[in-house]
Amino acid sequence: MMNSHLPDDMLFEDLAERTAAYKDKAPSRLKSRIYSRLMLEEAEAGPLHSLSNCARDGRRLCVFEELVRIAPLGESARQRNVCRVCHARVLAEKMENAPIYWPNCPYVRFQNR
Amino acid sequence: MLPFPQADEVRTDRVAAIAQDEALVRAVLARDRKATAEFVARYADKIYGYLRHRLLPRADLVEDFAQEVFLVAWRSLDQYRGEAPVDNWLLGIARHKVEDHYRAKLREPVDLPEENDLELSFNPPWDELLDRQQLQERTQQVLSSLPEAYSVALLWRYWEKRSTRDIAALTGRTEKAVERLLARARELFKRRWNDEQSPA
Repeated sequence: MMNSHLPDDMLFEDLAERTAAYKDKAPSRLKSRIYSRLMLEEAEAGPLHSLSNCARDGRRLCVFEELVRIAPLGESARQRNVCRVCHARVLAEKMENAPIYWPNCPYVRFQNR
Repeated sequence: MLPFPQADEVRTDRVAAIAQDEALVRAVLARDRKATAEFVARYADKIYGYLRHRLLPRADLVEDFAQEVFLVAWRSLDQYRGEAPVDNWLLGIARHKVEDHYRAKLREPVDLPEENDLELSFNPPWDELLDRQQLQERTQQVLSSLPEAYSVALLWRYWEKRSTRDIAALTGRTEKAVERLLARARELFKRRWNDEQSPA
């Protein structure tokens, strides 16, 4: 219980202590935008870890990534940021908890449902 | 009753958590998109929560700051040495950004109310609010209602635990001026708190 007879300084230190813990959820739009921005930076820095390697490492791919992985394309296509051209990204960046449900899509993972 | 964890167990958990963090960082540095998604999913809530509480009343800045924290982190990720958990490292970056904001705000001229604008305070009945959630909400509400220089001064001094000497040095003000600003901020905080408490 807060002692209201404490000097001002201690009163505020106590209030700060009691209100220091917080459990906020970042909006899914924000997480989506942060991820998209990081992916842009990574893609600019060089080829991404290829989808074939991601699958080999046991990472689960979304249906679109899986298509790119198995399609008869060069390895460089699998190192591209395929989310850039996906409608799920656009929706997730604009809408809170956008109605997207692809399994293993990172933008679905960011949702606070 | 659950046994209290032994120091060795705590140390082992911490070492394991840092090893996990290091593996994640290595994967992000290898430009692994799935690891990057994990990185954002794992830490965004914590960074967002911290910024939301420290940037009151400027809710409009929170999302830009959060994005900036992750960008700065990504650009300097190769400097992460695994000496602390990644979330602490990210919070350190966030703290720097928040302090830059505080510094800029308190370097601006602050228009203080006249001496007699503020009544003498009476002790706020914080102890009547037993619920932590309510206490937190009320605190945020009152901080948000203050002039920004006041909320910044209070947050910096009490929530970030910076001394008045540090604040003075970082803002180019005298210690006396910072103390005066804090005294005003506390008074107005308490007055607003009490106003909220008073029946309509």
